[in-house]
Amino acid sequence: MALRRLALMAALLAAALHAGSRMRRLHEPRFPRLAELKVGPFAFQDAALAAAGLRAPAADLAWIELLQYSAGGMPELVDRPGHPYEHLATLSLRVTRLDPSMHRAVLFAAGILAWFRGVERPDEAAELLEEGMRRFPEQPLYALYLAAIAYQRRGEADRMIVLLESSFDRPETPSTMRTILANLRQSRGEYREALALWERIRSDERDRSEHARARIKIAELRTLLGSPPHDAQR
Amino acid sequence: MQTISAVFAYTLKEHVRHKAWLSSALFGLVLLGGSLIVSALGQDERARLMLDLGLAAIEVIALVGIVFLTVNLILQEVESRAIFLILTHPVRRADYLLGRFLGTVAAVALGMAGMALMHAAFLSLYGWWEPGRYAAALGCMLGKTAVMGALSLLLSIALTSEAAAMAFAVFLWTLGHFSSEMRFLADRSGSAFLKTAIVAFSHAAPDFARFNYRDFWHQTAPGGDWLAWTAVYALAYTAACLTLAVQLFEQKEF
Repeated sequence: MALRRLALMAALLAAALHAGSRMRRLHEPRFPRLAELKVGPFAFQDAALAAAGLRAPAADLAWIELLQYSAGGMPELVDRPGHPYEHLATLSLRVTRLDPSMHRAVLFAAGILAWFRGVERPDEAAELLEEGMRRFPEQPLYALYLAAIAYQRRGEADRMIVLLESSFDRPETPSTMRTILANLRQSRGEYREALALWERIRSDERDRSEHARARIKIAELRTLLGSPPHDAQR
Repeated sequence: MQTISAVFAYTLKEHVRHKAWLSSALFGLVLLGGSLIVSALGQDERARLMLDLGLAAIEVIALVGIVFLTVNLILQEVESRAIFLILTHPVRRADYLLGRFLGTVAAVALGMAGMALMHAAFLSLYGWWEPGRYAAALGCMLGKTAVMGALSLLLSIALTSEAAAMAFAVFLWTLGHFSSEMRFLADRSGSAFLKTAIVAFSHAAPDFARFNYRDFWHQTAPGGDWLAWTAVYALAYTAACLTLAVQLFEQKEF
């Protein structure tokens, strides 16, 4: 009886091993090795969640912490004077190394690093995008942003803006990137185009977090264009 | 079969009436609510956060539930000597163990289904509705829970200590998420013996990382044949653990 049971157990274990190898052959998840996670103030949190099999939730929490940092509310990571968003690239890489499919973190950070006034570190943004592209080549916006950075380096701002605007309505485009584009238009004195972009931001439910700012900007741009700001008060 | 279904029904009723099951289901709902609040901080990624954190909450509660319930399943009856009364009846030990295990898995699955219904309702309110993929993720989580339950039951019978069984169960849970890391270490290892040992160990340990459909569906979701093999893996591994558990249980003298 015991021998029969042991033989049955061995057969079942063999079936499980066979099924496991078929599963591996059919699908290999693309999560970077744990060794690639950098040591930092969140290393324990990341390692604990990854060890519990929660890679996507770990990336989600890292994304919230990235947003917290970019809003200036993270005491563990304080920027040196004159080095705004110093840790942004590191925090963004942390998200993408936990889960490469969380591409919004890379796009968000690259947008700030390359085009935010007073930051303008396109080289750092390009490095970030290159790693993002290596880890998740299916995301077309990585290549598009890299091309836009190349135009920026060559001083071809018109082509850069046209290229970036081509991705304005894509669902992956972060709200922050949309506001950056509108501000870029405004800084070039293109108030009418900037106004149109802010109005699109205000009418899109996805950009809810930017609606208050959009209303202020619309009023400001209407004043600059000499038209009454009544519509923006809604 | 009649014995198994009788023990199954009795176990399911016992768990559903138990305070531990009810409080874990309630705690799961609270955790689910918490994940919905946290997701509000995710800006553009709110739907993804609601989905990931909600499913993670369901899985964690299911894990805690299955480990706690299966570890205590037999040990408590041995301690309270209720097992003597049951085994004096014409009940085969294998049937009794199988009925108890299936009833426990069903109770945990019931809790998971309740939490999932609430979670899916919230997700649909926020415009996310992919019932096929959601059901696939839940199925994988249930497979993981069943394997974990069988392992915990085996450990509780082999170790005869609740604390030791729970500690080993948590250890195996963690180890199961390191299977690909172990194979990576084996590839990097210079020693052939060490390499073989690590590969053998990584295959023998349950490969829980493979069940994480909820983690990798944001990349490229695997197809139907992958899901079928996952079901085969879960059933075969669970059955192997139960066979060994039955063997140990039959050898036990009360």
